[in-house]
Amino acid sequence: MIVESRFPAGPPVGVETMVTESRAEPPDGPLAVGDERVRGFLEAVARRLIAPNVARRHPELAALGFFLRRGEVSRALDRLRPDAENHLRVPRGLVFHIPPANVDTVFVYSWALSALVGNHNVVRLSPRSGAAALTVLDVLLDVLPDTHPAVAHSQRIVSYDRSGEVTARLSAACDLRVVWGGDSTVREVRRHPLPPHARDLTFPDRSSFAVISISAWLTAAEETRQRAIEGFANDAYWFGQAACASPRAIFWVGASHAEEAMADFTGRLAAVAASRWPVDAAMAVEKRVAAYGLAADGAVGRVAFHGNALTMLDLADPAGLPRRWLGAGTFAHARLGSLHDLLAVVRRKDQTMTHFGFAVPELQALARALAGRGVDRMVPFGSALSFNGVWDGTDLLAEFTRLVTIST
Amino acid sequence: MSLFTFPQPVKEARLLPELAALTEHHRLCCLPYRRILDAIGSAPPYDSVAELPWLPVRLFKTHELKSIPDDEVFRVLTSSGTTGNRSSRIHLDRAAAAAQPKMLAATLRVVLGERRLPMLVVDSRSVVRDPTLSARGAGVLGMMNFGREHVFVLDEEGVPDVAAISAFLSRHGGEPYLVFGFTFMTWRYLYEPAREHGLDLSNGILIHSGGWKRMAGEAVVNEEYRRRFAADTGLTRIHDFYGMVEQIGTTFLEGPAGDGLYCPDFADVVIRDPETWLETPTGTPGLIEVVSTLPTSYPGHLLLTEDLGVVHGVDDGTWPGKRFSVLGRLPQAESRGCSDTFREAA
Repeated sequence: MIVESRFPAGPPVGVETMVTESRAEPPDGPLAVGDERVRGFLEAVARRLIAPNVARRHPELAALGFFLRRGEVSRALDRLRPDAENHLRVPRGLVFHIPPANVDTVFVYSWALSALVGNHNVVRLSPRSGAAALTVLDVLLDVLPDTHPAVAHSQRIVSYDRSGEVTARLSAACDLRVVWGGDSTVREVRRHPLPPHARDLTFPDRSSFAVISISAWLTAAEETRQRAIEGFANDAYWFGQAACASPRAIFWVGASHAEEAMADFTGRLAAVAASRWPVDAAMAVEKRVAAYGLAADGAVGRVAFHGNALTMLDLADPAGLPRRWLGAGTFAHARLGSLHDLLAVVRRKDQTMTHFGFAVPELQALARALAGRGVDRMVPFGSALSFNGVWDGTDLLAEFTRLVTIST
Repeated sequence: MSLFTFPQPVKEARLLPELAALTEHHRLCCLPYRRILDAIGSAPPYDSVAELPWLPVRLFKTHELKSIPDDEVFRVLTSSGTTGNRSSRIHLDRAAAAAQPKMLAATLRVVLGERRLPMLVVDSRSVVRDPTLSARGAGVLGMMNFGREHVFVLDEEGVPDVAAISAFLSRHGGEPYLVFGFTFMTWRYLYEPAREHGLDLSNGILIHSGGWKRMAGEAVVNEEYRRRFAADTGLTRIHDFYGMVEQIGTTFLEGPAGDGLYCPDFADVVIRDPETWLETPTGTPGLIEVVSTLPTSYPGHLLLTEDLGVVHGVDDGTWPGKRFSVLGRLPQAESRGCSDTFREAA
């Protein structure tokens, strides 16, 4: 069983050797939570990612760079600490990350947070990774020579093809396994047992929707609406509407004037989408298949095509919203009398609710009423894809650590 | 009698009312189809064939679409799920099942004549013997109806049986005979051995299909295929055809001069611009919509394929109507989501 060593770069290495090396104590002692050796490395990486030559080509890497800046990292650590007087936070040990192949940056967030709290990490990078992932890898390798050797010693990014054996061995060796990439991935990976003390942190399939207050939309200033549309379009179209957090349905909340608000919203979105997010013929066909299929099922009553970039589907029943991907720029929508009506709609699978025109108390009331049945994030338009250390309802830094109780 | 007779204006005038009536028939008899038409707001009057509402052909993979009650289903055809995807399911009643081979025969009559010809099958006998008949096997079996005294070019091991071909030729080579096979196989297993062994195929009528994708590896395009068959084996009567299980019985047949695929009188194509969805001008590529009056038991009379094509000319070739080529297949749209079918690591 051989894996390709992507970081640090090196010849293919046997899995047993890698596991042994990854478990060994790094130079100058074990890593601690918030270890300066790791922080220095992440800071250098952040600087590179924010640099114009990288950020221009891959704007999503600039977002990653901002996330990894020293100030941001300090704030995240401050939220984690100070520990209660009789608890000391320590790393979990060896963390095995299985990120999705097709969201290029997730592996960095997952791995960086885990490294930050002193874990040794093995990240499985898909051989099918895209350009952004390869750019990140280049940056990591570039920065490595000026980094404390403990980093190269304790952190590994590897690639291997279709090998259940390698996944099994790494699973058996780790203290925490982090699995991104959907239900089928989670099920497949779970066939490989973990040591009794270890656990899984899983990020299965999720879907997301948007809510808009009809009255707030209709009374909002021109610039506010336009800014909101651009934010919404970014949320939806950036990953071809296929990210967990990309809104796929829109709920119009209010007693009346829904048609007026929908028409204004749809017109603006169609214009932004056509100019900034055109779709190709294959995607256009994909969208037709999905839209016609939902119509055939009776799930949507009306299908409106605003060019190829925007398709609006009138939901026959708000609770029947489609949660699967329907192609870039396909939105099912319906009117609800109040936010409270979402209680009949929301499921565990629902992750992000992007919102326009609601105040914090209303959102808090909704979250309380939902009582954990679904919706892990309520964020304004334009923030759906902003990664946060709290993801899918989980505080990642806390998950990546253990607490030692010390009392006298 | 040929089924390639209508100039385009005549065809349009004849097909439009028939297709419009079929649309209303399916609207009445197929609830999911009615819902689709209602959802997109499609209603008569329709002023041209291009105005009629089409369905993406892939819907037959995702949905059961039929215009007959369950107890009238006589046969369910399935497509080859080539990329591990679901296959199409096409429901035929007794009448539709009977019409389909009849119309195929009528379509091919223009090149095969009235009599059954001796037939050389460019495949192996096992492909039609397999109890779980593949799409390829079904295609071969369907075509075998048009021939007699069949000889298979490949032996049971899949190796070209030159002795069998030679024996066939010494027996039937002096009169017209039918040759059928998938494009790639006719090249690899008939053209190449024939050239190598100096076989004379000049009385053959070659009907082939299956597309040019696998031929890309051989770096052979249609013109080259025809030219080399003619130069090296004497075979000049060559007809590619295009058709799909979702419009079974409808065959778009290459004209004798190799100047494109022609539409039989009961069928047509509309090449659509994938941006505007309007019909493209002659010479401008787009997505192929296949049009046929044959599908009566399921709403498959107007189907947008995922094939790219181009109309080369209208009423300007050997036969009347549109002549067109298939240019290739649209790639599958890719999702870039977090949710990833990640079989490779597991």
